[in-house]
Amino acid sequence: MSATTVPAGGSKAPKLPVTVDKPTPYTFDLGLLLANDSNPLEMSPDPSQRETSLATIARDGAQSLINQLLTTCPITSTPAGVLLSLPPPQTAIPREKPVPAPKAETKWSAFAKRRGIKPKTREQRRNLAYDEVTGEFGRKWGYMGANKAGQEEPIIEVPNSKKEQERKEGTSIRGDKRREIRERIKRNERKMRSNQRNAAERR
Amino acid sequence: MLRQVKPRTARSKRALEKRAPKIVENPKTALFLRGTTCSQVTQDALADLYAMRQTNAKRFHKKNPIHPFEDASSLTFFSEKNDCSLILFASSNKKRPSTITFARTFDYKMLDMLEFYLDTGSFRSISQFKGKKVPVGTRPLMVFAGTAFESTVPTPFTMAKSMLIDFFRGETTDKIDVEGLQHVVVVTADEPNNASTDPNDPSNKPALHLRVYLIRTKRSGQRLPRVELEEHGPRMDFRLGRVQEPDEAMLKEALRKPKTNEERTKKNISTDIMGDKIGRIHTGKLDLSELQTRKMKGLKRERDPHLLEDDDDDEGGDFAQEEPKRKRKTKL
Repeated sequence: MSATTVPAGGSKAPKLPVTVDKPTPYTFDLGLLLANDSNPLEMSPDPSQRETSLATIARDGAQSLINQLLTTCPITSTPAGVLLSLPPPQTAIPREKPVPAPKAETKWSAFAKRRGIKPKTREQRRNLAYDEVTGEFGRKWGYMGANKAGQEEPIIEVPNSKKEQERKEGTSIRGDKRREIRERIKRNERKMRSNQRNAAERR
Repeated sequence: MLRQVKPRTARSKRALEKRAPKIVENPKTALFLRGTTCSQVTQDALADLYAMRQTNAKRFHKKNPIHPFEDASSLTFFSEKNDCSLILFASSNKKRPSTITFARTFDYKMLDMLEFYLDTGSFRSISQFKGKKVPVGTRPLMVFAGTAFESTVPTPFTMAKSMLIDFFRGETTDKIDVEGLQHVVVVTADEPNNASTDPNDPSNKPALHLRVYLIRTKRSGQRLPRVELEEHGPRMDFRLGRVQEPDEAMLKEALRKPKTNEERTKKNISTDIMGDKIGRIHTGKLDLSELQTRKMKGLKRERDPHLLEDDDDDEGGDFAQEEPKRKRKTKL
C-alpha cells in the first residue's frame, strides 16, 4: 500500500506509479463516480499524523477511481471537450417520490394496441397534402381544405337514394358534410367523457 | 397536507408538473435550516455544506423551534412546501453540542433521520484552505473507505453512506466532461475499537472523517495520469448519533425501480465479432434407438420372407425378431 505513495523523489524519477495495490480490491459504481474501499484503515497512532494517513487513503482511492474511469468508460472527443460515457448507477438510493402510476388504458388505446395502430407522424399531422390532379400542395382541412371539395360547386347532383327521401325538414345536401363532422366531434367528446369517468372510477 | 389544487393557468400547471412524480427524477433539492440554538461553528459547517450543494439547495435563515426526533411534522411540511427531500437541520445544545441532522423524505413523509455530531475542534471551513476552489455545480468523485461501510445489515454507517451519496451525487448524467472531474469527497470511517470503554459514550464511537480534496493530475509517462491531492475543504469529523430507521414498507416503495422501455437482455442470444447473431437453443433428448448404425450384409432384411419360410425352420426365430422392427418403421 505504501508503495504507491512514494513521492517523485529526485529529479530523474522516470515514472510515477499509477497503480494501487490493496489486499481487497475496490468496488466501483461509476454511474455515481463512487469507489468503495473495504480495506481496514491503516491509521498512524500518532494523532498529528492522522491527516497524512487520511490523505494517503484518499489519494489511493482517487487514483484507482480515475484509473477505473479512464480504462472502462468509452471516451469520445467532441469540440466541447473530452466526454466520458458513464454506466447507469448501481447503488440503490431511495427515490424522492413514488414511481408514477401508468395511465389508465382508454378504450381507444386498447383498440389501437390490438389493431397495431400507431399515432400519426408529424408529417401526417401536417395540414398540407400533395394534390395529384393539380400537382400542387393544398390544405387537408380548414380554408379551401381538401375535405370540403365538391361542396362549393354551384350545382350538386342529388342522388335518388333512401337517405334523400328520409331527409329532415329544412336541410339539404349542402352542408351535409359539415353536419357529419359536427356529429363525429360530439361523439368523440362523449367517448372522451366516458373514458375519463372510467379512469376516475378505477383509481 | 397541502390542499390539492387543479391548475388554472398554464404557469401553475408547469409548476405542478415540475414537482410531480417522474420516472427519471429531478435531482433532489436539499433544505438547510437551523434550530433555535445553534453554535457559530455548526452554522459555519452548515454554510459550507450549503456551498458544496449549490444550485440544488435552499437555505432558511430564521430560527426554527424544531426537535426532529420528537416531532418531525414541521420538517415534512417544509419538505412539501419547498419540494425538498433532503433536509439538513443544524442545532446545538448542552446534551448534543453541534449536531447536524440529516433527514430524507419520501413522498413528503419522513423516511429516515440520522444525527451527525460535529467535532468542533477539528473543523476547518472551506475559506480556511488556500488555493483554487471548484466551480459551482461540478460533480465530485466519491470514495468511501473503511470496513464499517461494507456491512450487509443496515447500520448507522451504511445509512450515513447512503445519505452522503445522496447529498453529493448531484445530477446523474450518462456523459461527463473529463475536465469536470476536479474534486473528490472522501469519507473515512474509523475502525470500531474494541477497547473496554463505555459503548454508550458517543466519544467512544468510531468517527467519520469527511474530507474534500482537489485533484491534480500529473504526467506519469504512462497512459494513465498520476493523481495528487490538495485539500479543498471543508474538513469535518463526525460521530453518529440518534437514528430513525426507515419504515420497511416505505423504504421498499422508495427503492422500487420503474419499468423502463429499455429492452431486457434476451437470454442465450449473443452476437459474435463478425456481427452474426448466435442463439443457443434447447433441443430435447436425442432418441438414439433410431440411430442408423453401420450397415452389414449379414443384418440385411430378406427380400422375400415367403421363400425362406419353407426352406428351414431354424431361422424362423431370426425372422420373428425382425418382425417388430418392421412394424415400428411403418409407424413412423
